[in-house]
Amino acid sequence: MKNKFNTLLLIVVCIIGVILRFVGLSDNPPSLTWDEAAWGYNSYSLGIDGKDEFGRFLPVDYLESFGDFKPPVYAYLGILPVKIFGLTEFATRFPSAFFGSLTILATYFLIKRIFFKSVHSEAYALITAGILAISPWHILLSRAAFEANVATFFIVAGILFFLGGIQGKKWYFSVSAVFFVLSLYTFNTARIVSPLLVLVLGIVFWRKLFLLKKYTMLVVVIGVVLTLPTVPFLLSPQAKLRYQEVNIFSDIKVIERVNQHIENDNNAWWSKIIHNRRFAYGVEYAKHYLDHFTPQFLFIKGDGNPKFSTQVVGQMYLWELPFFVMGILLLFKKREGYWWIIPMWLLLGIIPAATARETPHALRIATTIPTFQLFTAYGLMWATILLGRHKKYLVGAVTIIAILSLTYFLHNYINHYPYNYSGEWQYGYRESIRYVNEIGDEYDQIVVTTELGRPYSYYLFYTKTHPEDFRKSAQIRRSPFGFVDIDGYGKYRFTQDLHTNDNTDGKLLYVNLAEKTPSNANILRTVNQLNGKPVLSIYTL
Amino acid sequence: MKKYKFLLIGILLIAFILRFWRLGEVPIAPDWDEVALGYNAYSIMQTGKDEYGELLPVVLRSFDDYKPALYAYLIIPLLKIFGLTVLAVRLPSAIMGVITVGAVYYLIRELFQSKTLSINNKNIPIEVLALAVSFLLAISPWHIQFSRIAFETNVGLGFNILMALMFLKGLRNPKYLSFSVIFAALSIYTYQSEKVFTPLLFLGLTIIHWKKLYSLPKKYIFIALGVGLLVISPMIYVTFTNEEALARARGVSIFSDKNTLLKENVQRLVRDKEKGDIVGQVFNNRRVEYGRTIAANYLSHFDPIWLFIKGDYDVNRHHAPFMGLEYIIFLPFFLIGIYQIIFGKFDKKTKATILFWTLLSPLPASITTGVPHAVRTLNFLPTIQIYIALGLLATYLYVQSLIRLRLIRSGLLFAAMILFVLNYTYYINQYFVQQNYYHTLDWQYGYKELVDYLKPIQGKYKKIIVSNSGEMTQSYMFFLFYLQYDPKTYLEDGGTVSGGFATRKNRIDNIEFRSFRYEDEEEYPMLLIGTPIDFQSQHKTIHTIYYPQGSIAMKIVEKTNED
Repeated sequence: MKNKFNTLLLIVVCIIGVILRFVGLSDNPPSLTWDEAAWGYNSYSLGIDGKDEFGRFLPVDYLESFGDFKPPVYAYLGILPVKIFGLTEFATRFPSAFFGSLTILATYFLIKRIFFKSVHSEAYALITAGILAISPWHILLSRAAFEANVATFFIVAGILFFLGGIQGKKWYFSVSAVFFVLSLYTFNTARIVSPLLVLVLGIVFWRKLFLLKKYTMLVVVIGVVLTLPTVPFLLSPQAKLRYQEVNIFSDIKVIERVNQHIENDNNAWWSKIIHNRRFAYGVEYAKHYLDHFTPQFLFIKGDGNPKFSTQVVGQMYLWELPFFVMGILLLFKKREGYWWIIPMWLLLGIIPAATARETPHALRIATTIPTFQLFTAYGLMWATILLGRHKKYLVGAVTIIAILSLTYFLHNYINHYPYNYSGEWQYGYRESIRYVNEIGDEYDQIVVTTELGRPYSYYLFYTKTHPEDFRKSAQIRRSPFGFVDIDGYGKYRFTQDLHTNDNTDGKLLYVNLAEKTPSNANILRTVNQLNGKPVLSIYTL
Repeated sequence: MKKYKFLLIGILLIAFILRFWRLGEVPIAPDWDEVALGYNAYSIMQTGKDEYGELLPVVLRSFDDYKPALYAYLIIPLLKIFGLTVLAVRLPSAIMGVITVGAVYYLIRELFQSKTLSINNKNIPIEVLALAVSFLLAISPWHIQFSRIAFETNVGLGFNILMALMFLKGLRNPKYLSFSVIFAALSIYTYQSEKVFTPLLFLGLTIIHWKKLYSLPKKYIFIALGVGLLVISPMIYVTFTNEEALARARGVSIFSDKNTLLKENVQRLVRDKEKGDIVGQVFNNRRVEYGRTIAANYLSHFDPIWLFIKGDYDVNRHHAPFMGLEYIIFLPFFLIGIYQIIFGKFDKKTKATILFWTLLSPLPASITTGVPHAVRTLNFLPTIQIYIALGLLATYLYVQSLIRLRLIRSGLLFAAMILFVLNYTYYINQYFVQQNYYHTLDWQYGYKELVDYLKPIQGKYKKIIVSNSGEMTQSYMFFLFYLQYDPKTYLEDGGTVSGGFATRKNRIDNIEFRSFRYEDEEEYPMLLIGTPIDFQSQHKTIHTIYYPQGSIAMKIVEKTNED
């Protein structure tokens, strides 16, 4: 009876999760980012001839894309949806929404495994899954083609199967290895987080693994072999460059500062010790690490980047705060089952994100996601236990507040978010390209501004250009830093200064930023952002 | 027992040195509030009136701040000894800082109500914790910061701690209750935040210890209540009748700048109305937005970066350069200490008092702008030190039981000591050396040098105009302070006027304080004094005052018929 009820609850939770992730997926977020457009088109391209947009056959180490060298799994996951639904926003976002939904289910099983010894394991698992289903953070990540969100699923599944192996069926270890390896091929941050997680899990459970000597060796070998293809890329200069660009340790200001400190101390020997640059960088790192634990980020406003937060609700709901705090304290107090996995996972998961300059970063720490929800769930469960027979009041109050908060979040997300932040999502490309497509045949060349960012990926996406046509005619420019710029393909030309070296003959159509349209232009169409601000104009001269 | 007393004296000595050493010189200059307190004290001492001519004020209007005036009165006796100097102005705060360090020792002993503490199943004498908290407060960057400047908040904190101490003592000997009430009142006469914090802390203590309090002879409770009402009534009267004072309170509150706060909210509401979205109109009600803002402001004080790495984000006067409010190496122990308070084997009332104190501290600041705010939330002390001390003790005892080998234990302890010494040295260096390089602008450096330069040549000019805008806002007060201008003469000339254009009338002899345009001033020979941005066109600088790190603080420009 109880079991059936729990199953029913789990199904309801999953359905809610699926609805919140899939409904209106094409239209909200209001537009594709260039990364999303690139994912979609690469899926499309791989689905046609097994090559990425630039013609690399079945790439496993990276997709060159804009020179950001994306780990390729997301593009492969998109092949099938693109085949089924066509090259659309929905198909492009499908893998993220799908694995996001699946993460809810996987989290349920994982939490059950972690707290296998507790009589409350079922409740912890259900509440965590429920909170994850309505989590503003996870909903936003699941509704756009963020590869991080898929990596989160792989990591949850990886830990789940690892514990499965510990608790019985040893072949689970190999499944776990596959998931962890997949996460490496999915998301850059996972390339650090997953190995660390596996390492700690391996150390803690070394006794068990040691008993299974042969099998453990086999799994390790499988894991290492599967990881090998990506190693040459990770050791390449491009990977290093990309890392240094966003890295706090390359910030010269810190060194200038400590030098000034030492100078103010008249270059005393002790000053060189206390103002050692390693300490200064250490504090800097601590700052970026702790950024992810500020109340502002977690409970009030969320990530400053509107792609990861609506700005009116934090990464978590404000009502979660007391339970979140209680959950952390009680988790350490009760020490049930493999409780330590949760804080360890959280602390490891933030290590790579904290080396970057822009923190807090809701996307780069996405690999820690269900740990935050578990803390809330754990605190909530124990609050009801501690209240004893009065718990019904708490349950009632929390249910009402949670529903109100969800409604508040959804109201803002549905009614105001697209209006306020369509610009953040490069709104305007789809509308402009549709119009250009309608009238494009009359023109010899179409000149498009690059100032809204990487227009070629949108033109490929929305005109469904055959990849072979693109590869044949693309004018590709690669900078020494590895960035890839496309100056044009087919009859499209992409440039920053539309009117400077205008020596092309024939009939030209221009697509420019609305504010940069020359006064003598014959404007055919202006595309507005959803808040009415003109963004692109299409004109002739 | 003697051993503990001895150690306490040692700690007080450390506290004394850290608070009194070079008190008048570090921070490098007094800020406007400090000189204002000093001059108002000077004025009250000589004439019985403040700069506006208000007789024995309960609240000081000072720059239209309308702040409780007690601090100014505390300066008066010191003026007799040290004259109108920066040292005299800062002394009350420094003295109270040392008293607070001592009071905290006794507070901890009263708070825990037992001779020994059980931490990690080991018993330690309560004096160890009391000494640890007292020591941590003695070296606390946050407490030192406000003990070394004439900010009322530090004196308010001291009174609050004495109030709590007397209250807890009063539970055993009810005579003390009256003292508790008197300290509460003094606190309210000292600083704005205490008007919210102190009564609520008192209320909290009353509720937590209700049973004990109820069993005391009623006589003492009535006496305490009577004394309290008597002492506080002037303040209550002034607070609720002074329109301007209320206006100032609204001025710093989140409701003062409704337009910015509600801008996005109103836009959303308008769209909801257009769409006829009832749910949206409920959610985007401005009360929801106020609630969100207050919650955000409150929570902004539970930010580890603010506490341990950066300090106040905008105001450099509130922390040492490149430092948080507490030592960064204490962060883990702070967290462990919170865990200890919640799950440790201490009396429930003790736990409730400490946690309540912490949670109450950021409340007054929550309805104000400019959060997180280290001044308005100084009452976090000494609970922060309690958590850190408990965390340190618990860790020490845990390591002791975990590692049997004495050598390794000593090694670990030694390593920890080195880290602490490094962090401590870093702070001392940041405060006493680096601050005088990085924060001179924030400390409004330059007026002493300016007045010293002007004094001998003042009579040579028909008029001297001193800028009163930008970094030189309220420059008149610095002149009153450094000239030690006779308050009687000043008041006879009309005293300070403020509000809008009225400030243009403020002058001392031939010195006027107002903004000016170099080209428009024509009363030769004259001096114009301002920051570099005040002088855009060709001009003749006769003297320049530099910040210690080399950039220009003020320019003294001469204008004569020939120019």
